[in-house]
Amino acid sequence: MSTKQARHSEKAHPMRRVLPGVAAAVLGAYIAQVPVAAAGMGPIIIGLTSDASGQYANSGASDRRGMLMAIAEFNAKGGVLGRKIVTIHIDTETTPATGSRAAERLISRDKVSFLIGAVSSGVANAISQVAQKNGVIYLNTNSSSPTESGKNCHRVKFVWDGNGANFAQAAVTNALNTYGKKWQLVTNDYVWGHNTSKATRTLVEKAGGTIVDEILVPQGTRDFSSTLLKIQQVKPDVVAAAVGGDDQKAMRQQVAQLGMGQNPAWINNQQDWPDVYGLPTDNLFGVFGTTWYYNLDLPGVADFVARYQKMYPDTKMRVPGNVFYNGYMATHSLLQAIETAGTTNNHAVIKQLENLKVSARERMQHHDAWMNPKTHQMQQTIYLATANTGGDKDDMFKIISESAPETVADANAEATCKLESLADTPVYEP
Amino acid sequence: MDFLANLAPHLVNGITLGLLFALIALGFMLIVGVMEVINLAHGSLFALGAYVAMTIIGIEPQWFGPLGEWYAALPAGLRYSFALVLAPILVGLVGMLLEFCLRGTYGKDPLFGLLLTFGAAMVIEELIRIIWGSGEQVLQTPPAISGAFIWNGLIWSSYRFFAAGFSVLAIVMVWLFLERTPYGAIIKAGAHDSEMVRALGINLSRLRLYVFGFGVALAALAGIIMAPIWGLRPHVGVDAVIPAFLIIALGGVGSFGGAVVAGVLVGLTVGITGAYASEWSLMSMYILLIAVISFRARGLFGKKSVLEN
Amino acid sequence: MNTNTGVAAWITRPMLITFALLVSLPLWIESVGLYQYLGVEIVIWMVFALGFNLLLGYTGLPAFGHGAYFGIGAYAFGLSQLHLAESLWLGIFCAMFFAALGGAMVATFLSHRRGIYYALLTIAFGQVFWFLSIKWHRLTGGEDGLLNIPRPDLDLGFVSISLASNQALFYFVLLLFVLVVIGLWRLIHSPFGTVIKAIKQNEMRTAFIGYNVWLYKWLVFTLSASIAGLAGGMFAMAQESAYPDVMSLHASGFVVMMVLIGGGMVSFWGPVIGAAVYFLARDLLGAATETWLLWYGLMFMAVIMFKPEGIAGAWQGLVKRRKESARVEKKPFTG
Repeated sequence: MSTKQARHSEKAHPMRRVLPGVAAAVLGAYIAQVPVAAAGMGPIIIGLTSDASGQYANSGASDRRGMLMAIAEFNAKGGVLGRKIVTIHIDTETTPATGSRAAERLISRDKVSFLIGAVSSGVANAISQVAQKNGVIYLNTNSSSPTESGKNCHRVKFVWDGNGANFAQAAVTNALNTYGKKWQLVTNDYVWGHNTSKATRTLVEKAGGTIVDEILVPQGTRDFSSTLLKIQQVKPDVVAAAVGGDDQKAMRQQVAQLGMGQNPAWINNQQDWPDVYGLPTDNLFGVFGTTWYYNLDLPGVADFVARYQKMYPDTKMRVPGNVFYNGYMATHSLLQAIETAGTTNNHAVIKQLENLKVSARERMQHHDAWMNPKTHQMQQTIYLATANTGGDKDDMFKIISESAPETVADANAEATCKLESLADTPVYEP
Repeated sequence: MDFLANLAPHLVNGITLGLLFALIALGFMLIVGVMEVINLAHGSLFALGAYVAMTIIGIEPQWFGPLGEWYAALPAGLRYSFALVLAPILVGLVGMLLEFCLRGTYGKDPLFGLLLTFGAAMVIEELIRIIWGSGEQVLQTPPAISGAFIWNGLIWSSYRFFAAGFSVLAIVMVWLFLERTPYGAIIKAGAHDSEMVRALGINLSRLRLYVFGFGVALAALAGIIMAPIWGLRPHVGVDAVIPAFLIIALGGVGSFGGAVVAGVLVGLTVGITGAYASEWSLMSMYILLIAVISFRARGLFGKKSVLEN
Repeated sequence: MNTNTGVAAWITRPMLITFALLVSLPLWIESVGLYQYLGVEIVIWMVFALGFNLLLGYTGLPAFGHGAYFGIGAYAFGLSQLHLAESLWLGIFCAMFFAALGGAMVATFLSHRRGIYYALLTIAFGQVFWFLSIKWHRLTGGEDGLLNIPRPDLDLGFVSISLASNQALFYFVLLLFVLVVIGLWRLIHSPFGTVIKAIKQNEMRTAFIGYNVWLYKWLVFTLSASIAGLAGGMFAMAQESAYPDVMSLHASGFVVMMVLIGGGMVSFWGPVIGAAVYFLARDLLGAATETWLLWYGLMFMAVIMFKPEGIAGAWQGLVKRRKESARVEKKPFTG
């Protein structure tokens, strides 16, 4: 455009007088925001790839708060390896194409040292590919798709959430004994739904139960009336629902309206705190999973909650949940690994993370946690909960059981995960 | 016999679903049929109606002092009814603002009007997100119409029947308005022959403004009714505008009866496939549309319209 | 719109300016605070938008589900590399072929319609393809995406150029862009182009003159789907993966917005400008604020309300006004 303006300069149209100025101002503002990233002793720049719009906007925001709190705590102690930590956030819009672009921008333009953040598996995969190509360590904080630590694992990627298979493991045996052997599956018709239901099916049949019916619910379903009618007609002992995203929110409403939450028994998968906070308790039916809860009677939890409330006095969620927790823990562990490794060299940090062991006390969970070096998924305590009727408005969960990580491990993961070798991963020392 | 016994509840379910779809499509149909504008902001306005109603029902006492306390103490049913009337009016005003923006696009390629409303849909959804946040919210319904009842051994949602009944009422009222009142006659005349209407001394711009506002108010009304079933979040509008679009095409542009029939037909299709071939329940809508349009070019009862150019 | 009779040049001045600007892009992109990958994305979408504008701006057919063919192209490219052979030309061919196939099938249903029913059917078919890409996850990878798509080397027989770096890929994508621009420019200025412009003006009259309107509409849709597929294939290379999201209604809507803001309704270059503006605005606004969608939507509404001919149209208007005032100056009014 500027070449055209240079040539037709005889008559200065008012618009054209303004245009170069506007263009210059815009470019100036743009260049001004390029961070000063000197190599070596400059700040450590971390790219936060969390969704701020789209389906997972709410969870993405919570995820980011967790990351920021961990980073703020380290900065208060002088940063990591004496270097301050600076963050750049890009909204990945729950869209994989945006995820790729965000990762490319953060790596090539902003020269980030590490990337953190994911809720959607598609976005996580898009980012992981770019990260792996460049050797940038990427933390998948909150995607609960079993494929993230299975088929789609990467040497630079580390997964910090429990996945559908873990929660199925935790829930199924217990439910079979408590409720009965006649099960019906409700499966969201996409990869996560199918993997989760497949894990449930394997477990149920191994323990002597039967799957009498499986209802496939396409992604984007808002009306569950026919599904709920069918369930009533089949009369199973247990319904195991692998329904996620907005579909699950609609299903919740409709089950609550029918009062069907108690009978039959429902097994839902993981419920993310940002998705349920503030809803009436009858929307929270059945048994569901989580990796952490703010009201666990464990040392350190109350203090953690207090720190959250101090740093975020204005957020709608007055207490943090599993999404915040996963974001915090992942970031905290990463920064600690860098300290322990004594360098930001990615190979060294990867080795640290692969051998990560965190005590139960530090994790604020019932059991010690550790990183599985073959799948890069953090093995942690899995909790089962139901709705807490009669508690105050924040205390929505009643934790009914906790499972040690080795009892709920994803049996399929090690077989399907093929990590790239360290030799194939470019060296990066930001 | 067993098959029929199992089918019957799904038929009933399909019809109630269809009536809900017809309600959702009603406002959209009015604007398309009368003003020949495809209002893609229908979904966001649908959502806005529910959010505004939620705020009206749950007004915090401290905002308005003693008046607020009196209001908050009113029974839920009264507050809900109040919201059911006030929220559509407020959102209708927003609609009128949108119509004002649309004025420049009349007479040009209908694509411009459509795209303007597409932009408006984005803007309204973002505003909802900014004002009310991204999280899931709840529209409180009064206990009288909530809950469930048992019929023939199955549990049915009371609210759903209320909603379906309300749809029937709304459809009948709109039909009566269009067919049996002088205002309705003017509106229909404005669609057929705008020059004549102007020649008769009727202010056409004012007419368009009110019709658009009315159509938007109907969208908001549908939003309030559907929120307890679908849940309430900023993105919920998209779930409304696609079926609305589809139903109008299926029923035929410009046909009121067509929209209602199409709505019920879509509801039955989705409901029955949901029961017997659940993985195709959403696709069935699109396949139905493609099938019908391939054989009946203008949908079931469509009339020729400017929008075909 | 230019209604040139007579033979148009193969290469025009705006073309050369655009090519020069883009060819030099890798040299200055980083000094203005941008990054090479963005350049790749912009050129890919320019190709997509140019092909799409053939349908929207030139033939006047409103299509809202065109992301489907972009997506088919991406998946076809990926699947050919993963299951057939790692070959660049095979991938590009598959991308264009299968997208054209999809487009041809849909066009068979569409081509006797126009206006609102046309738009609705494009949406319906777009949704069908999106749904299939999620459901058929054994083939496409579903929402996880089709991953690890390689970037095959550009094998010219005597030399093999690696496209692993974004810069190399950019030049390759630019090469295809140049071919598409020249090809489409020729097409627009050929008898075929004249007919589709006539269809936009008055479909019935064109039919009465004796042209097989159905066939032209079918061809235009298929061709534009094929170009969308080409862009999709290139994007699969850039992302090294393919996802269903590009087929969503939302994504399809964005290309319409791009074309309109750029001025595709009145100018060949509209889609090119629109794609650039869209990505730059997104990157800029997205870095500055989290509510960028609000500002982008408002900007879009403002363009439609005040300048529906878009940026290119505004530019054409400026040029015309200056030419007219220059002419007026030369010929003083003689009583």
